[in-house]
Amino acid sequence: MPIVLDEVAFDYPDGTPAVESVSLRVEDGERVAIVGQNGAGKTTTVKLMNGLLKPKSGAVMVDGESTANRTTAMMAQTVGYVFQNPDDQIFTSSVQSELEYMPKYLRWEEERRDERVARAVALCGLEQHLETNPNDLPIAIRKFIAIGAILVGECRYVILDEPTAGLDVPGLRLLNSLINHLQSEGIAVVTITHDMRFVTESFDRVVAMANGSVVADGPCEEVFADDDVLKRARIRRPEVAQLVRDLGIPTTALRLDDIVHNIP
Amino acid sequence: MSSESGNAVAFVNRFRTYVDRGNPIRNMDPIVVFIVLAAIAIAPIAFPGFVAAAIVCLIYPVIALFAGVAREFLPTYLKLFLVVGLVLFVLRAAFIDGEDPLFRLGNIAPTWAGVEEGARFALLVMAISGAVTLFFNLATVRYLMLALELRGVTPRATYVILASFQSIIDLGRHARTVLEAQQSRGIETQGNIIVRARAFFPILAPVFLAAINQTEERAVSLDARAFNSNVPHTHLVMLRPTRPRELVVAVLVVATVLAAFIGSAVGWF
Amino acid sequence: MVLAALRGVSFTYAYTNEPALRDINLTLEEGLLYAVIGPNASGKSTLCALLRGIVPLFHEGELTGTAEIRGRNLLEWDPAELSREIGYVFENPFTQISGIKETVFEEIALGLENLGMPPEEVIDRVEQVVEQLELGALVAKNPNELSGGQRQKVAFASIIAMDADVIVIDEPTSQLDPESSDAVFAIIANLKKSGKSIVLVEHKMDLVAQYADRVIALNGGRLVIEGPTSEVFTSPLLNASDIARPAVTELAEALVHVGRPLSRTPVTRAEAAELIRARMKGGSRADRSR
Repeated sequence: MPIVLDEVAFDYPDGTPAVESVSLRVEDGERVAIVGQNGAGKTTTVKLMNGLLKPKSGAVMVDGESTANRTTAMMAQTVGYVFQNPDDQIFTSSVQSELEYMPKYLRWEEERRDERVARAVALCGLEQHLETNPNDLPIAIRKFIAIGAILVGECRYVILDEPTAGLDVPGLRLLNSLINHLQSEGIAVVTITHDMRFVTESFDRVVAMANGSVVADGPCEEVFADDDVLKRARIRRPEVAQLVRDLGIPTTALRLDDIVHNIP
Repeated sequence: MSSESGNAVAFVNRFRTYVDRGNPIRNMDPIVVFIVLAAIAIAPIAFPGFVAAAIVCLIYPVIALFAGVAREFLPTYLKLFLVVGLVLFVLRAAFIDGEDPLFRLGNIAPTWAGVEEGARFALLVMAISGAVTLFFNLATVRYLMLALELRGVTPRATYVILASFQSIIDLGRHARTVLEAQQSRGIETQGNIIVRARAFFPILAPVFLAAINQTEERAVSLDARAFNSNVPHTHLVMLRPTRPRELVVAVLVVATVLAAFIGSAVGWF
Repeated sequence: MVLAALRGVSFTYAYTNEPALRDINLTLEEGLLYAVIGPNASGKSTLCALLRGIVPLFHEGELTGTAEIRGRNLLEWDPAELSREIGYVFENPFTQISGIKETVFEEIALGLENLGMPPEEVIDRVEQVVEQLELGALVAKNPNELSGGQRQKVAFASIIAMDADVIVIDEPTSQLDPESSDAVFAIIANLKKSGKSIVLVEHKMDLVAQYADRVIALNGGRLVIEGPTSEVFTSPLLNASDIARPAVTELAEALVHVGRPLSRTPVTRAEAAELIRARMKGGSRADRSR
């Protein structure tokens, strides 16, 4: 069952439109990156998906049910949303208690709780930090604590807001494998990001937005091949993809590992 | 494009002349406004009964009208009257014991003395809150602080006051973000009181942690803006010099109020 | 002139056990653009804070070794004087807006007011910076209502306005989209051209490769390598430390692995294009001669 945005519009509190007639569909197990300039409507779009915002017109359906009559907390077991700043979500004094917070809040049985927490710990590489106060850990690990706290829930869609900001090479590697694992479980991953290399290496589909509208929606290869779309959404190709483009090498490959084979 | 740059020039030019808020009363020295309103607000305390307080409460709308801020001031002040003033009056009037109740409603038996006392108390409070409300409509805290700085108050003191006002707004805004973040992980914030109470800690903790963690960085970044430099600071915004007649008004008002208090102390009223 | 000379510098923050910097030996020249790179918690921000005296003057801790800034021992500097000579842009855009100004224009002017500059000069200087950073659309806005990216630009402008000889910038593009990031780097390049010394923490290696004169790579509080940008990014030491490199450098390495190495390792896209283009021409000539 998908998330469906149908002709959705939403205005900022001051009355200016944030998104206008956005239509979008996210299927199970899809990996979708939403890209565009600051202010293009990316955050508004994902906030509509988990019910933080309700559309002014049009409809948002999650698993066939409208978000209009459900609170975000009710939907959190279906659509998980990891905020850009992990410190907005983290509040307890140890990593373990942070991860256990949601199961305890929902009064899950111990067995179910332990199983979900163990899974989140493994996926987010938190084994060594369980007893540590999140405040004493670097931002990169705090980001994974926030992701873990969401993954403890049994959501089938995960939204990641700028997950690569502040991550180093090992962190990026962990994030990539995490996203691949979620996909293998049939969980859809939606991200908002400015990091085009991350988009092409971890996502299959790109939604390019500009001024509150979707200007392109399709496979990475297709969207990044279209100069007009890139110009309108003011986005760039990943560095090496731009390189082969500059050289006139005929390929739609975007990932470094694929491009290597196209260099004469 | 040209109109945009024209606007930019107009915008910058406003720093080349005295601040003009478009009305003689609003252009008054904010310190004078503050002193005059403070004196008016406490004046009714010197008088017995509620008539003096009622007169003061009627003076504010008149000032607001002349200052051209009636549209902002009146609705707020009326709301205050209806919500705070009325509640204070009813509570005082209903529960002060006395002879000859006006009527009885169960245990409640208001008396004329109670009504008088309730009116006095409620109107005294309204006289003070009216002054506060009107001050924010007439002058801004920012200009008041600037005026104080120009008279020798240290920038540190004015910073603390101005930054506190802003940090209330910032804390509120951050709390909204955290609220959304916690809703997104399944913490319910709508519903009955128990449900809401459970959300209390998850929302307040990140807000306060962030506020504490940011204090030091705020201090260092202020230092990076030469806040601690030992030369006297200059000011981009120019306040109009205080006019002599403003001072005369201030002196007259303060003297009158002082006289009222002295009179009350020696038993004139 | 020497901007900074660090000899055997270690620093441990108060209330922590692990040193944030360990035995750093480093000389920074003036008039150059230095990029500081490294994984999380490698000591990048602490190194920058040290150059400006924020450690150990604001953030307490134990400093050993000697740190000389512009020829004078760090501990002998008058803090106010040091803050005037070395501008500092912090990473978090939310703590850098003063919260006491009504418009972006006044916010940018704050540092100049504090330096005692006459108002007419303040206006000219702020107008200049606003134009340079293309902030015209923001000047009349309330700085406390801006988005993270906008605040980052205003914080940057506020420090640029103060015209310090040396500017330390901690991740100026962390909240910016690609177009704005490029614009910020173009401004930084211009500042350098006008004679400023710049020390910059940045994660976007493609931009670092394009703009930095020299790179300082840190890992675990230790100096991994310091040198000219292309030398650092092609050094095997980086790979061993898990420090990111420009994408084209990684591509060149991948080409080595598939047995088709380039004649040398590029660090910028232009350089890579040149090398591959030369090979494409050479290849086609070889085809013809065959």
